[in-house]
Parts: sequence; structure tokens; C-alpha cells
Amino acid sequence: MGDIRQSLLPRDVLSAAKELLYHLDIYICNLVQSGRQPPQVDSKTLELVEEFILHAPKDRNTPARRMSALQELQLLEIMCSCFQEQSRDTVRQLMFSALFSLQGNQADESRMALLSKLVSMAIAVGRVPILECAATWLQRTHRVYCVRLAQVLVDDYCSMVPGSGPTLQNIHSASPRFCCQFITAVTTLYDLTSEELTPPSELLQMIVSWIQDDPRLVLITFLNTPLSGSQPISSLEVTPLGGLVRWCVKAPLAYRRDKKLPLTNGTSESETEAGPLFSALHLSVLQVFMLLPNILNEKGLFGRLALLQMESLATLTSDLSRLLDQADKHTHTSSADTQALSQLTLDRLAQALQVAMANGALLCAREDLRAICSRLPHNNLLQLVLSGPVMYYNNIHTPPLAFSPHAAHSPIASHPPHPAHPAHAPHTPLAAHPSSHPQYPAQPFMTGMPFPFRPSH
Amino acid sequence: MLKDQTMSVVFDGNPLKAMQSSHTHTAQTALSAQELSQEIKSFISGVDTVQGRKLSVREHARCAVRLLRSVPACRGAVLEHLRGVYDEHVSAFLHNLETEGDGSSGVSSNLEDIIQEVHGVLSEFIRLNPRAWAPLVSAWAVDLLGQLSSKHAGRRVAPHSSSLNELLQLWMSCAATRSLMEAYSQCLAAMLAWCPDACVDALLDTSVQHSPHFDWVVAHIGSAFPGTIISRVLACGLKDFCSHGAKDQGLLVMGADKGSRVPKIGSVVGILGHLAAHHSDSIRKELLRMFQESLTPSSPMSPTSSSTSWENSPQLRRAAVPFLLQLAAMSPNLFGAVSAELVELLRPPVLLHLQALLQGLPREELDNMLGLAVHLISQSPSGGARVLRFLADTATPASVIISGPTPSPHEGVREGCDRLLQTLLLHLHKLVFNRMDGSEVSPHHSASSQPQRVIPFLEELQSHIGELCAETLRLERKRHLWLHQLLCLLSVYGGPSVATEAFCQLLTQARNPEELALAWQLHTTLSSCIAGLIPAAVARCVAQIHTHTLGPRQLRQLLLNLAAAIQSQDEERRGAAGVQSSMAIQVGSAVSGHLHDFGPLLLHGDPAVSHAAVRLLSCSPLPRTSSPAHLLLLSRAAVTHFFLALRRRGEGGKVGRDGGQAGEAVNWSVLLLSRFAAYSPLTLKAVLQQLVEGALHKGNAELFGGQIADMSGAPVTSPSVSPDLGASLLDINCRFGTTVNFSGSVWSVFHAGVIGKGLKVRTAANLPDPSGVIQNVQTLLAVIVQCCSSSGLNGSINGSRPPSDPDEPAPINAEAAKVIAVTLVENVCPDVANGELSWPPEEHARTTVERDIHIRRCFEAHPVLFPLLQVVAAGRPALCYCSAVLRGLLATLLAHWEASRETLSTDSPWHLQASCLLVSCMGEGQLLPPVLANVHEAFPHLTPFEVRLLLLAVWEYVRGNGPMPQKFIFSSEKGLFCRDFSRDGDVARYVAPIHSVLHKNIDRLGHLCWRFQL
Repeated sequence: MGDIRQSLLPRDVLSAAKELLYHLDIYICNLVQSGRQPPQVDSKTLELVEEFILHAPKDRNTPARRMSALQELQLLEIMCSCFQEQSRDTVRQLMFSALFSLQGNQADESRMALLSKLVSMAIAVGRVPILECAATWLQRTHRVYCVRLAQVLVDDYCSMVPGSGPTLQNIHSASPRFCCQFITAVTTLYDLTSEELTPPSELLQMIVSWIQDDPRLVLITFLNTPLSGSQPISSLEVTPLGGLVRWCVKAPLAYRRDKKLPLTNGTSESETEAGPLFSALHLSVLQVFMLLPNILNEKGLFGRLALLQMESLATLTSDLSRLLDQADKHTHTSSADTQALSQLTLDRLAQALQVAMANGALLCAREDLRAICSRLPHNNLLQLVLSGPVMYYNNIHTPPLAFSPHAAHSPIASHPPHPAHPAHAPHTPLAAHPSSHPQYPAQPFMTGMPFPFRPSH
Repeated sequence: MLKDQTMSVVFDGNPLKAMQSSHTHTAQTALSAQELSQEIKSFISGVDTVQGRKLSVREHARCAVRLLRSVPACRGAVLEHLRGVYDEHVSAFLHNLETEGDGSSGVSSNLEDIIQEVHGVLSEFIRLNPRAWAPLVSAWAVDLLGQLSSKHAGRRVAPHSSSLNELLQLWMSCAATRSLMEAYSQCLAAMLAWCPDACVDALLDTSVQHSPHFDWVVAHIGSAFPGTIISRVLACGLKDFCSHGAKDQGLLVMGADKGSRVPKIGSVVGILGHLAAHHSDSIRKELLRMFQESLTPSSPMSPTSSSTSWENSPQLRRAAVPFLLQLAAMSPNLFGAVSAELVELLRPPVLLHLQALLQGLPREELDNMLGLAVHLISQSPSGGARVLRFLADTATPASVIISGPTPSPHEGVREGCDRLLQTLLLHLHKLVFNRMDGSEVSPHHSASSQPQRVIPFLEELQSHIGELCAETLRLERKRHLWLHQLLCLLSVYGGPSVATEAFCQLLTQARNPEELALAWQLHTTLSSCIAGLIPAAVARCVAQIHTHTLGPRQLRQLLLNLAAAIQSQDEERRGAAGVQSSMAIQVGSAVSGHLHDFGPLLLHGDPAVSHAAVRLLSCSPLPRTSSPAHLLLLSRAAVTHFFLALRRRGEGGKVGRDGGQAGEAVNWSVLLLSRFAAYSPLTLKAVLQQLVEGALHKGNAELFGGQIADMSGAPVTSPSVSPDLGASLLDINCRFGTTVNFSGSVWSVFHAGVIGKGLKVRTAANLPDPSGVIQNVQTLLAVIVQCCSSSGLNGSINGSRPPSDPDEPAPINAEAAKVIAVTLVENVCPDVANGELSWPPEEHARTTVERDIHIRRCFEAHPVLFPLLQVVAAGRPALCYCSAVLRGLLATLLAHWEASRETLSTDSPWHLQASCLLVSCMGEGQLLPPVLANVHEAFPHLTPFEVRLLLLAVWEYVRGNGPMPQKFIFSSEKGLFCRDFSRDGDVARYVAPIHSVLHKNIDRLGHLCWRFQL
């Protein structure tokens, strides 16, 4: 493969790239047919890719050849058809990774640029194979680069070209895997810490509608991935659940903070929309949690795999306590409003924690939860959650969510999930719960206090 | 807002189009993935994939726009394709222009709608999402604009890149470039809010790349966004300047246009120059800000400055000042905008920073900058005076700046300024003198048509000559040297009028010899190039006097300075002859030509002025010819001033301090009078006459111990003192005959009082300070004697009379004495009747009792008359003309002594003194022979009767030997007229009464006997 360099050199940029693609295709087909395991593209080939497709400068002396935007578009078009026409999945994957696996060298920048354009274009013209490959790429790549890809896509379809949102919407049907990874990347990207890191409303709507339509979407990667434990370090999480929980919990505070900023363009509309959207999203997330026990049990992972990471929860709660502090400090005027929003946040956190714990997505001791939630202001529901569930079916003295043989028989797990509770705001019955016991005023949690509703054995 | 305006002007109905397109995009997104794929293929290949035919330019462009709307990944490619479309349109447009639009406009109009369409889409995008699109589109538009404008720069219709306005017009009439410009403006307007830097940087980078051809874009954008563009343009220019280094500077200063080698700074100047028409204020602020920023110590991460700004780079900061200088040198507009305020900014802390900054530069560069600064200053059309003051203030050594407006600067700063100033002077010197050489040489060369080079700095300073002179005269250590040099240059530059002005100012403002010396230095320097400077200056001074533009102090100073100038001539004559000689003479002659203009100043209300005037006049030479009118006027003024000076001396003596000056004034006045009297017979006569009249005048009488006399010669009683005598005019008139003053008749003796009311009350004579009176009289006599003794009548003015014996007073000139005598008679004797010189018998004196009494009263009232008589007596034979007066006085004295019943003559002291003085005068005047003239020595020892006897003898002698001037003969060895008494009758018969009296009183008069020997 390395010997073709000499024949490529005199060609013009585009035809050299085309020819190299052609050769690459043949080379990988051969590689796969040879049956060597694992099929590995040699470094010579990778260098050729960098030189003739990505146009990374080979050395300092020769100036990098560059393609014009038109040539680049042609190349992309060729790539699209190339991947489209390649029937064998393995070859496609190998080819994709030969082209776009990050090598940690200076070609990575142009690699990322080309990849972003390719994926963007694939979305536009509906090239499923490319999206599938990209989904795999998103699983294997460091999350920083994943986030960058997601950013480009969001820019392209949600802000740059008006009216192109529906095109992006289609990826749900075109490639659920890609869609799931995209959601994970997007939730990682937008952590609601600043205005720039708040998802565009179009994107938010899109994601909510996706998940509402099919809650299992968020679990697709998890479902399809053989859990080998060989997840690349720092790649995206397996599910977007953590990110989505963060969105739902932080949203009331984040959007209220945004409201204070003088916004000129029409974000006020998105604000008004954002509240219900996040409510719906929250419900969907809770429903996804409810799906988990079956799936986990099927895989035999219940209690062994935490889909919600404790660390990210800790970060979330510390963020929350900071935000709530700020809210207390800065808003004396609309204190009632602020109070309501803060309580909503805490309610959602408590609900998410409770449901996640109950469904085996969060594996931790209540003590740990108390520790990370200790700095949060009082919330009745949270208090209840932290002090321990009324788990009449469980031994209160054992750590409730550690993996135990009883868990498989837990009533909740055996209950079939009822996703059809949309009209029912999920937190209302729970929120009403502490208000019926007004003898428990707002106060921080005290471990030594006996819990009055604890059933006595 | 601006954006909207331009948009709606240029692309009418554009928003509508945008709306339409936004309505239609739903239809476009309806394109399936398959269709999109087809579109992309079509776009790439340029062939309609469905129908298999080639796309036209328009169709291709439409396809591109569709892709732009639907496939984000195609964005770059589409924009790139559109470049070609725009370029094509521009080509067609220009071609159309070149062929004068003869019907072949089809192509351009075809593409125009596509361009509008593209523009509509882009502006819609920018409007919907400025953050995402504005950077993208702006970069694209700018790059394309640059490419287009430099690609088509060589076209025949394209104006030269230097004419920005024409370029602007051309390109703005082309739809493609206009559309790009609009899009860019829109982007910039959107981006200004959050990241103007990136946007403008792209603009300027392009500007550099397509340097002169792209300037119209920057200029246009700049006038739309002045604030942003100006500062960015400057910063960009600075960066470029810094990277090019200062090596090109020298070339640029000399104005050598190196064409392509001119770096970005040329563009910067062009752009700013274009903007200066409407935004000079912002430009000025920006330039000044740049200057200040470059000097203020940098905070490492100052939050105010934007991330890419030049303030953070020490190297750029260092280059800022040279850059600004360079900029100013290249554009008079910019320089003019800044220069006025720059000086205000140069406060000590700023200067310190500046110095610290400049210290780091290599010497060669510093020299360059110095030259540049000097060049700029010399070319600056306004604010020169301020710059100069600043430079001088700063460059003056600290010890001398005592209470300047600015605290003393750092020594290094001072030296820098010093150097700058000196270089400036040198430069100006070269300019001024080269210019003169040029103009002189020009007839031989073709350069004759070239007008004289204007030096704006000097032009402007011409109106500040007065201040410059004042500054110069402060004689601060180095400062006055500089300023003096500058004055010289200014004078040479401005020609005679300026030189005169400067010289005149110096003359007016100098307060002491050192300061005055500056004027002479100026004259010395200028005398070689400007002729007739001094007369012109003096004439100008006189003009100023006439127009009263000078205050008393200045006037005084001017006069004193002129006097000092003239006097320096005398000093030279004594000492070493210096450069001033010719000048002193010139000043002298110039002043002498204007004496009559200075004359009235003698009577100026301010004593200081009149003092100065007398000083000037007294030392100035007198003109060779002068009209009598002027001379008379002058003499009158001089005499009046003399009396004024006497009066002031009397008053000043009491006050104390001014006494000296007043005394000095008197001396000057005496000198003036004597010189003036010596000038010509006419002046002598006028002076003497006026002196005598003045001395006897009512107003001046008291100066000489006199009392104010009324018509009849009796002292007037002051109204407050005199009691009401009840005399009414009516009463007196009723008593006919008593009131008529038959002067000279026996009936009209009223001088003793009103009949029936007793004697008139004599006022107690409140004699003024006797020593003052004596001094005044002495002064008067001195001046009269000097006037008389200077032999002006013989024609020679000064120096011709050999001072045979300096101790011996010069003889009194007879003609002069005669003038005095005649004047005396006119003033003392009211009646011309019986005015003949010869004396009648003593009995006839009865007929003139009235007149005689008047004469006596006059003598009583004016003690100064006796000394005057003595003067006259000394000028023989002038006393003869006083005959009537002498006779009248003698007659009254005889009557007094006859009537006196006192035992001793000393009992009536005045009469005794008068008798003595009279006789001695007559003796001196040789009306009496020595024997008779000596009789007065005996008077004090005699009885009144005996005195009368002796006086009678005198009378008799004079009657016998009439006082006739013919009897006097000029003796050439003495230089005097003398009377030979031997020709007259025998004296012995008149001496008999003397001898009788001697005999009678031999016990007391023994010692006097020898005096009466014949």
C-alpha cells in the first residue's frame, strides 16, 4: 500500500484523494478477507491518509497541499457514496476508523473538520452507514472530540441553517444508535453552566420528542454494546441518563438565571417553552429508569453496573448547592418565585435519586448520598429520600441498593413499568407527601434523629 | 440602525425578499435526502443530473443557494462557488462600462438578480443568527472584495488606486461589490456587539494583502463604523510598522516614494485621510489615545483592552511613538488633527514614560525620530507657539524654572528636549537661509518660478512675536538664547515688517541694559540681511505712540531704551568702539528725525514718561534741519517740562524716594534746554524768552520764592484770608473816577487799598521752603546761564568752543542776555511810555510813579528778578535794554529812602537789599563805573538819607552817561563787550557825595575807602 505514494504525488489534490480512497477500499477488503484477527490497518496507510486526504503537512519543508471547498465537497460526496456502496459492515467500519480514528497527531484537526463535514452531510443526504460508523466512532473516541462533533452538528442544523432542524430530527429514524450517541454527546456538551452551554431550544425540543417517542432510545447503545469492560477511557458514558438528569435538575435554576440576563433575541419564547419541555423530559428519564431493572436483569447486571455515576452526581449536587446559594443571595425580589424553582430543582433531584436507586441505576449507600447532599437546602422530599425509603419489602438495616439476591424479587422491579402516566406530573404526589406532615419543619437532615415512619421490627 | 438604512436604500424591498424566502424554506426542506444528493451532484458537476444538460451560470448559482439553505456541509463550497459568480458579474459590469454599455448589458443584468438572491439569503441568515453567520460571511465578503478589487484594478475604467472617492463610486455602482459591502456592513454591525476585532482584523489583513486597491473598502466601512475602524486601522498599521522596523523611515521622511515598498502605513494614511473628512474628531481621539496608551505602564492583563490589541505587546508599545510620528509626517491632515492637543498631554509623568520608552531605542533610530519630530514641528501650521513654549519650558534647566506651570522635569527629559529644540533651530536656520539663497539664485536657474518655500511653523509664530520677545527678555538661562535665535530666524523669514516688529517689541519691552543688549544682538544679526531696520523700528515706535497703543510703563521703557541706545554711542566714544557704534548712530539719527513726535511726551501726565522723554530728548542729537514750528513747539514743551520738573523736585523732596528721580529729571531738562538753546538762534531766543516768562508766571512764581501778584503787582490775598471789605462794584462805579485805573497817572494810585477802607491787607507771605527756593533759583540761573553761554548764536552747536579754562564760566552771550533783558522788561514794566533807554532827571520820575511802584512790586513779588538781572548784567551790554526797569526801581528806592525815618538803612531790609543788588547789577553791566558801582558796599552802614544821597549820585551818573549799547566795544581777547568809561564824562563830579558820606562816617567806613578811589 505504501508504494502507491509515488503514483499519488503528481496527481492533483482531488484525484489523489479519490485514488487513495479507492486503494484503501481494496486494501481493507483484502485485509478482512485475509481473516487476520484483529484486522489492523498499518501505519503506512494511515500516513498516506493523512497526507493525501487530510492534507496534514508531511514535514516542515513541503507546504501542505490544500483542497478548495469545492474539491472538499466532491471528496465528501465521493466518501458518502463510497460508504454507501460498501456492503460489508466490517469493511466500512475499518475504513471509517482508518480515516477518522484520532491518532493524536497534528492531522487530527483536519481529521475532525473532515469528519464533521462528512457526518453533517450524511445527515443531510441520509447516509445511514456513515451515521452508524459515526456512532461507533462516538463510542470509541475521547469525549472531548465527541463533544466537538456534536457541537458542529448542532451549529449546522440548529443555528446556522434555519429550517434544517427537521433534517437532524430524522437521524432518530435513520440511525437510532447515532441518535443515542448524539444525545449523550449533547448532554455532555451542554451542562447548563452558562448561556453558551445551554442547548438551543430547537435541539431541546428534538431530544424531548425523541425520548418521548421512544424512551428506549437512550438505552440503545447500552443495549447493543457487549459490556466487555473495555470501554475506552474518557469516552462518553454509555447512556445519556446522567446528562439528562443533570439537565432536568438544573434547568429550573439555569433558565431562571438566564432570564436575568438581558437577552435581546427571542429566547424569551424558549424560556416559556423550556419549563414544560424539561418536565416532560424528566418524566421520560424517570420512565427510562423504570425500564432498567428488566434490562439489567436480562443482562445479569442489576446492582453491578451503575448507569448513573456517583461522581457525576456529586458534581451535580455541589453545582446545585452553589447555584441555590447564588439564587438566595441575588434574588430577594422574586423570592417566592425563586423558592418555588429551588424546590422544583430539589424535588426533581430527589425523584431522580429515588427512582434511580430503586431501579438499580445508582449504586450507593444512603450515607454517601447524604454526604453529597448535605450542603443542599432543605427539601421535604429530599429529606425523605435521604433518610431512607419506606421499603417495607426490604431489610432496612442492610444497605438497600447494594447488589443482593433479594433485589431481583423486589416488587418494584417486578412491577411492569407504566409509561402511560403522562398527564400525571410525576412529582406532585410525592411533593404532597411531606406537606401532610407539617410537624417536620425545614431543617437539615440529622442522622441521629429517629425516623418516625420507619417501621419498627 | 445604520445597517437597516443602507440595506433599504441599496436593496429595495430586500426584507420582503428575505421574508418570502423564509416562507419558502419549508418547501425546500421538503427535498428528500435523495433529491439533496442529486442536487449536490449537480452542483459539483455543473450538470443537471436529472436532465443531463449543463447548468447555466444562473441555474448553477440557484442550485448553490438551494444547497446553502439545506445542506450545511456544503456551505464552504457554495460560498466558494459564489465567488466565481460575483467575479463574473464584476467582469461583465466593467466590460459593460468599457464598451459604454452598447446593448450588451444582458449578462450583467442576468446575474444581478442572482446576486440579489444570494444577498437576500445571506442577509437573512445573518439576521437570524448573527453569531454563527456574521464571522463567516464577513471573512468571505472581505476576502472576495479584496480579490475582486485587486484583480480588476488594472482595468481601463478603474480609476487609479490613489483616488479613493472615484474608486468608491465605481465599486458601489456595481451590484456585486455593493452587495458584498452591504453584507459585510451587516456582519460588522452585528459583530460589533461581541467581537469587533476578528472582523476588522480580517478586513485589514485583506487590506494589506491587496494594499492600495482595497483601501476604498476600508474607507467606506470606516466611515460607517468610524470608532471601531479607526482604532483597528491604527493598531494594524502599528503592527505592520513594527514588523517593518524603522529602517524605511528615512526614505519616507524625505518623501521619496518607493512605490511598492511602501508598507501598510501608506494604506493607513490613505484610509485615515479619507475618514478625516468627516471623522477627524474620532481620529484625533484615537491617535491621542494610542499615544497615551503606549506610554502608560501596561498591566499584564488589563481587562479593558481587547485580547488581540497591541497594548499588550511591549514591542508594539515601543513602536507606537515612532509610528505616530511617521504617520504624522506622511499626512498633514492627521498631524494637524493631533498636534494641537498633543502638547497638552505632555505632562511630566508622560514625559518620563516617554523618555523611558525612548531610551531603549538604538541611537540611529532616535536620530531618525528626532529629525522627524523637527520636520513635523517646522511644518506644523498651528499650535507652534504652544509647542515652542512647551519645549522651552521643558528644556530650560531646572534651577531656573522657579514657578513655572509645570514642575521641573526629569533631567533626561530636559536634555532630550534641549536637543530637540536645538535641532529644530538648526533645521529652521537651514530652511530659512536656504530659502533665501534659493530666491537669490533663482534668476539664474529655472527654479525662478518656484515660490518661496513656506515654513508653517514660522508663519504661525509671526503672530506671536510680542510674546516671544517677552519670553526672550526674561533672560532665563538658556531659554533666551534659543528664543533669540528663533527671533532672528523669524525676522529673516518674515522680512522687514517682522524684523521691525520684533525689534520694536524688544525696544519696548527691555527693562535693563542686559535685556536691551538682546535688541542690539538682533540688530547685529539682521543688519546684514535687512537694511533700514532701525529707522523703520523707530518709525513704528512713533506710530505706536501716536496711536496710544502703549501704556505709560511701556512708553517710558521705550523712551528710556532709545535713550540708552543713543547714549551707548557716547560711551563708545570714550571706551572701546563696539559693534553698537553704527547702531547707536542710526538710532540717534532715527530719533532725531522724530523729535517733534517725542516732544509732546515731555508733558505726558505720567511723570515717569515725561522723565523718560526728557532723557531721550536730552541725549538725542538734534536734526540738521527742522521747521520753525516744530522747534517752537519743542522749545515750549521743553521749558514747560523744566518748570514741571522743578515743581516735581520740590514735591518729590518731601516724599523722599522720588526726589532723586525728580532731581535727575531736572538735570536732564537743563541739559535738554541748554542743548536746544544752542541749536539755533531761533531756539535760543524761544527758550530764553519762555524761561523768563515762565519764571515770572503766576503758576511758577512760588517756585522761586515769588508771590502771586495781581495786576498792580501787589500780592493777591487769597479769598479765604481776605476779609470782606464791603467793596462792591456798584459802589465803586457810582463814585465815578475812582475806579478807573489811569495807569501811569497821578490820580490812580489805588495800590495801597480802597480809599476809606484803609490799607490793603497784605497776605502773610507763606514762603515755601527757602532752601528749595534757593535750589530752584540756582537751577533756573544755571539753565539760563548755560543757554546764554553756549555760543549758539555763532552757529556751532557743540565742541567748537575750546574750553580754555574749564573752571572759568563761559561768558554770557550778549545776544542771549539781550533776549532776557527784553523779556524782563516786557514782563515787569507794563507801560511802554517813557521806555527810552536814556534816563531823565530825577525829578521827572514823578511822572512815572505808578509804573515805578508796579516795577518795585514786581521785584518784591519775584525775588528771582534780581538774579536774572545779574545774568543780564553779565551779558553786556544787554543791561542797557533794562534801563526802564532799572530806572523805575531806582526811583521807588529813592522815594523810599527819602521818606524813611528809620535810623539805619538796615531797618528796611528789602529796600536795602534791593538797592545793593541794583547798584551791583548796574556795576556789573557797566552802566556805572567801578567807583559808583561799589557804593552798595557802604549801604548797610548808612542812614536812609545817606543811602538816598548815594543812589542819587548813581541816578545822576546814569542820566549824564546814558546806558547806550553803542558805548560797548567787543574785545576779542576777552570775548566780551566792554565799556570804556574814559570816553564818558568825568566821574569825579558824581563821586563827591560819596566822599562826603565817607567822611561823615569814616569811623565805620574806613575800610571801604579804597573802594571809592578814582
